[in-house]
Amino acid sequence: MKIVSIAAIAAALLLGVSSSAMAVERGGTMTYARYADSLFLDPVLNDANVDIWVLSNIYDTLLLPTDDGQGVQPGLATEWKTSDDGLTVTLTLRDGIKFSDGSPITGEDVKWSLERAAKPDNGIWQFLVASIASVATEGNTVTITLAHPDPAFISALTVFNTAIMPKALFEATPGATDAEKAQAFGEHPVGSGPFMLASWERGATMKLVKNPYYWDKGEDGQPLPYLDGLNFEVIPDDATRILRLQSGEVDGAEFIPYARVEELKGAENLNMEMFPSTRVQYISLNVRPQIDGKDNPLSNPKVREALNYATNKEAIIQIVTHGVGTQMTSFMSTATPLHTGTDPLYPYDLDKAKALMAEAGFPDGFSTSLLVLAGNQDEVGIGTAVQQMWGAIGVKLELQQVDNATRTQQYRDGTMQMRVAAWTDDIADPNEITSYFAYSPTIDALHSGWKSEEADKLFEASQSEIDPTKRAEEYARIQEIFNTTGPIVPLYETPYPVALSKTAMGFNQIPLGNNIFRAAWLDK
Amino acid sequence: MSLVPYILRRLLQLIPTFAFIVLVVFILVRLLPGDPASAILGDRALDADVNRINAELGLDQPLPVQFIAFVKAIATGNLGNSITLKLPVTDLIAQRMPVTLMLTVMAALIALVLALPLAFLAALQRDKLADNAIRGVFQVGLSMPVFYLGIILLTVFGAGLGWFPVGGYGEGFLDHVHHLILPALTLALSLAAILMRNLRAAIIGVVGAEYVDFARAKGLRPRLIMIRHVLRNALISTVTLFGLSIGTLLGGAVITETVFAIPGAGRLMIDSIYGRDYPVVQGMTLALAVCVSLTFLLTDIVQAYLDPRVAR
Repeated sequence: MKIVSIAAIAAALLLGVSSSAMAVERGGTMTYARYADSLFLDPVLNDANVDIWVLSNIYDTLLLPTDDGQGVQPGLATEWKTSDDGLTVTLTLRDGIKFSDGSPITGEDVKWSLERAAKPDNGIWQFLVASIASVATEGNTVTITLAHPDPAFISALTVFNTAIMPKALFEATPGATDAEKAQAFGEHPVGSGPFMLASWERGATMKLVKNPYYWDKGEDGQPLPYLDGLNFEVIPDDATRILRLQSGEVDGAEFIPYARVEELKGAENLNMEMFPSTRVQYISLNVRPQIDGKDNPLSNPKVREALNYATNKEAIIQIVTHGVGTQMTSFMSTATPLHTGTDPLYPYDLDKAKALMAEAGFPDGFSTSLLVLAGNQDEVGIGTAVQQMWGAIGVKLELQQVDNATRTQQYRDGTMQMRVAAWTDDIADPNEITSYFAYSPTIDALHSGWKSEEADKLFEASQSEIDPTKRAEEYARIQEIFNTTGPIVPLYETPYPVALSKTAMGFNQIPLGNNIFRAAWLDK
Repeated sequence: MSLVPYILRRLLQLIPTFAFIVLVVFILVRLLPGDPASAILGDRALDADVNRINAELGLDQPLPVQFIAFVKAIATGNLGNSITLKLPVTDLIAQRMPVTLMLTVMAALIALVLALPLAFLAALQRDKLADNAIRGVFQVGLSMPVFYLGIILLTVFGAGLGWFPVGGYGEGFLDHVHHLILPALTLALSLAAILMRNLRAAIIGVVGAEYVDFARAKGLRPRLIMIRHVLRNALISTVTLFGLSIGTLLGGAVITETVFAIPGAGRLMIDSIYGRDYPVVQGMTLALAVCVSLTFLLTDIVQAYLDPRVAR
C-alpha cells in the first residue's frame, strides 16, 4: 500500500490535481525522446548515464529509491534489517517473484548477482558494494555479511549495479569470460523490471514491452506497469527533439535546453517539468604547486578564494541557464543526503577578490587557461562569462575548446589548469561525490592534487560509521573544509528539464537521474 | 572500343589506395589525444580501471604489434569489435552504411533532377528573368547552413504541414524513403546549386562553340544538336564534379543525420571519434573509402564513355 500511495502522491503532484479526480488508464505505448542511445545494458559493467538512467526499467533491484531519490522503499525484497554491529544485513525476498521470462527469482540468483557486482575489477561501480564479504541465502532470507560496517550499504542496494539477474541464463550465454557473456546477454537482457527489451535498433529506437511478471501493483490493484509498451527514440539534436514533441510524434523529451524552458512552459499541449536533480556544475582547478615545471598560482588558497569571490554566480545562472539554476550551498547538491549549508558559497564581492589577489602576491593577476567542451553551449557560455569576470581581478583567461577525450586526458595527467565540469550522484548517499571530490586517494580530489589530511581521515571514518548523528557531523566538517579551501569554483545546481505531452502521466526522473516509467500512463 | 581493360586497370589501382588509407587512419586515430578507456569511463574512472581496460583492448602493446594484428584481422574479414557498443564493426557497417548510402543516393538524384533541367533553362534564357531567378534561388540554397535549412524544412513540412515525419528513419523501405525525403532535399540543395551553375556555364560555352555552329549550319534539328552535341560535351565536366561531390555528400550526411535523427554511418562515425572507438573509426573509414572510390571509378567510366579519349 505504501508504494501505491507514493505513486498516487507523485501523480497528484505532477498533475497538480487530487489523485481521486484522475483515474489511471491502462494500455498504449509511450514514446520518449532521448538525446543519445544506450551503449551497454549490463548493470555491472556499464559506464555511462545513457545506460544507468534507463536500466531500472529492465532490471529490478532488491530495494528501490523513493521518488525523491533520498530514501529507500521495498523492491524485490519486502523487508531489510541491519544488525546492531552493522556487519550483517538481512533481507526478506518477496513471495512469487519472477524474471521477465517467467522463471522464478531464487536466492541463488540474488547471491550470484550481488557477488558479481562486488567482485574486484569487475566494472567501475564495484566500490559501491566493496564492503560485501559474503552472501548466503536460505528460503526467502538473504543474509549479507559485510567486511566492515557500511552506512551506505542499504542505499547501495537500490543502485543499478546491484540489480538481480538470472544466473543460469547468464551463465548459459555464449562467451568465455564474464565480459563476453555480458556483451551477449546485454543484447537480449532478461531482468525483473517493469519492462523487457523487445527490439533495439542501435542509434535509433529501443522498444520495451510490459513485463507480465512484474511484482508491483498499480492504483487499480492490477499489476504494473500501466503501459503496454515504452519506446525510446534517439534524437540528438535539441531543436528536432522538441519539434518532434510539438508535432505529437513523441510523448516526452529529455534535456530541453535551458534557453527554451520558458517558451515550452507556455505551450498549451505540454507540461514543462523541472525534476529536482543532484547535478552540480563547477570549475575544477589544478592546485598542484607546479604545472609543467612552472609555478602554479592556483596552488595558493587565497587565489582560489579570489576567483570564487570574483565569480558572479547569479549572473552566470541568468546567462547560461536562463534563470533555471540555483546557487550552490555546498560542493554536493542540496538533494544529496547529509548536505549542509543554507547560504550560497562565496557571494560575489569584487573588492574582497581584489584584496585577496593582492594578499596572495598577484596584485596584477596572472594568465591561465580553462578547458571547455567544444560546441557545448553551457560550457562555452560559462567560459566566456568567467573570462570577463576574472578580467576584473587581472586574471587573463584563455579558453581552450577541446573534445571530451582530450579534456579527460589533460585532466588525468594533471596538465590542465582548469576545466568546466558537472557531476550527478548515482547513489542516495554523500559518499560517492565525497570520495571523488574530497577524498584524495580516489582520484586526487578530482585530479586536482588537492589534499586535506583531516578530510581524508573523516571520510574514512564516515565510511564505517553506523551512528547517523556522528556520520552527519563528519560530513558537515568535510563540507566545511572542502567548501572553504577546495579546488573548485562552484557555479550552480540545475534540475532535469523534461517536456512531456499533456497526456503523458506518472513519469518521474529522480534526482539520481533514473527515468522511472513503472507508473507512467497515457491519458487517451 | 572496349572499356574493360580500363576498368580493370582502375580496380587494381584501388588496392594500394586502400592500403594507404588503412595505414593513415590507423595512425591518425591513435594520434588523437586521449584513449578509449578514459573516453568511455569518463572523469570518474580510477587510473587502475583505465589501465586495465586499455590492456584488455590490447592498447598497451607497441603500435607496430597492434598494426600487424589489425592487418591480419582485416585479411580475414574481421574488423574487430566496437569498444563502446560491444558489437562487431562489420555488423555496424552493415546496419549503418545502407542508411547513409540511401540518403546519399536520394540526395544525388534530387540534385540531378533539380539541376539538369534548370541549368538548361537558365543557359537558354541567359541573363533573362528565368536565369536570374534560378541562380538567385540556388545562391540562397547554397549559402544556407545545412543544420539551419534542415530545421526550417522540419518545422514547415514536418511539424507544420505534417507532410513528412519530424526526423527518424521509420520501418520498411517506403517508410524509409518517406523519412529521408526532407534530409535528402537538405543535402541536395547545395549540390544542386553547384551542379546547376557548372552545367549552365558549360552549356553556354558549348552552345557558342564552332562545331555547334557547324551542326546548325548543316541544318540539323535543334533538338538533335542539343542532345548529341551540346549536352554530351557540356556534361563531361559536370559528371566529374558530380562524382567528386559524392564524397562531400557523404561528409555532409554527418550533420544531416544528426539534425534529422537518422541512424546512419555519419553519426556513428562522429560518436566513435569522440569515444575514441578505434575499431569503428578504422572500419567505417575503410567502408566509406570503398564507397567513395567506387563512385570515382563509376564517374571515370561514365566520363570515358562520354569522352573516349579519357580511357586511352
